[in-house]
Amino acid sequence: MDTLGRIRQLAAKEFSINPDGLDPAAPLDTLGIDSLSFIEFMFKVEEEFGVSVSDEDLKAIKTLADLERHVAAALAAAGKA
Amino acid sequence: MRRVAVTGAGVVSPLGTTLEKFHDSLAAGRSGIRRLAPELTAHTGVQVGATIDWNPAELFKEGEAANLDRVTQFALAAAGQALAASGLLAAAGAVRERIGVSWGTGMGGAQTQEASYQQVYGKGEWRVRPLTVVMGMANAAGSNVAVRHGLRGPFGNYSTACSSSAMALGEAMRTIAAGRADAMIAGGSEALLTPGVLVAWQALRTLAPADASNPAASCKPFDKRRAGLVLGEGAAAFVLEDESRARARGARIYALLTGYGNSCDAVHMSRPDRDGQIRAMQQALAEAQLSPQDIGYINAHGTATAVGDVVEAEAINAVFGAAAGELPVSSTKSLHGHLLGGSGALEFAASLLALEHGILPPTGFLEQPDPACGLRHVAHAAQRVAPPRAVMSNSFAFGGSNVVLVATRA
Repeated sequence: MDTLGRIRQLAAKEFSINPDGLDPAAPLDTLGIDSLSFIEFMFKVEEEFGVSVSDEDLKAIKTLADLERHVAAALAAAGKA
Repeated sequence: MRRVAVTGAGVVSPLGTTLEKFHDSLAAGRSGIRRLAPELTAHTGVQVGATIDWNPAELFKEGEAANLDRVTQFALAAAGQALAASGLLAAAGAVRERIGVSWGTGMGGAQTQEASYQQVYGKGEWRVRPLTVVMGMANAAGSNVAVRHGLRGPFGNYSTACSSSAMALGEAMRTIAAGRADAMIAGGSEALLTPGVLVAWQALRTLAPADASNPAASCKPFDKRRAGLVLGEGAAAFVLEDESRARARGARIYALLTGYGNSCDAVHMSRPDRDGQIRAMQQALAEAQLSPQDIGYINAHGTATAVGDVVEAEAINAVFGAAAGELPVSSTKSLHGHLLGGSGALEFAASLLALEHGILPPTGFLEQPDPACGLRHVAHAAQRVAPPRAVMSNSFAFGGSNVVLVATRA
């Protein structure tokens, strides 16, 4: 499964929502994901991919698509992709 | 002062996960105490506990359950039952700014805290879940009850060890009586059966070993063979409501919560004090405007420790005098274990079985009463009586915090 697919699956489980209904371009707050929930979700994303997203980068993540880009970049930087 | 009615109750206990199942188990004298799983006994030396076979999937979505400590899951389950039974939130005129939460817990999110320490000190990984703070904090259980039901009235969280949830009920009663709320969800929960907590209790040398022939009979309050307490887990919750409002909406009234005594021994951290217990019982009787002979059953604190049971028996005899000879007393901890912060609320639920149905729950396995605990015991099996006018429930905590509740027939 590709990176976005894995992120969508994690998000669906974390927030009890149908992965098919997740629009990667939709702002996270419109998906009902608040800042605290997002930080916990990020922790699980970091665990899943074995990467670390900096506080600075975290602020720039507004959508699941943003998140995918950051995870993909982190994987590439770590030589994992 | 407004009178306070109990209009809903919910239970998650080692004796069943509804009020009805809990009452059925008490009436049958069934014990929920058993040998603990190997991962809990291996290094701790603790042998028995009163655990719940809990399946969060029945109430919570997978992602939701993962973000709620077990103590909060129990709280939400019990509070949900109590609210549903009461019909409070569906009633016309229910104003959520006038409905609050009053909760008690001894250790809060113990499983979350322990998982965090295990990660840091056990695995040496200095990286813990971001929700560790809000899942583990002492007020997480009560606050989640408020959030789940949108209860925006007064909020209180009490952590006085074994009297926590009895205090939560008493303070909720005061809040309603003073006109600061129309109704309160009051109760308590505990879920601390983790290796780190168990080894600390074991170090106190106050836990009972497994009874060799019957682990379910390991806790024997007031018995000459008693060897200490058995830890348990669970929750109990009640809807407490201004009586006039409850009657106006035609609510079922289980009982009136009429007396609340609260005293501190101010003597010692763990050794109980007769005088402190006497003061709390006398206060509760006075507030309920009852005399000793009006009480038809006492649910004792009765933890089955060598000193505790004797001191409580002395205190009861001092308060009730001649009436003590005819006053049935039992400690249901013999059956459901000691829920610590949750015990006061759970034992108030046990007391309602006596008040509403005239079924006195027993002190399980009491076969050789200790003459030093001179009480009229409800020994071994439940007894049926004409429903009494009023009942009392005692909760005496480490730290010397004594809470006594009195409930009167509606």
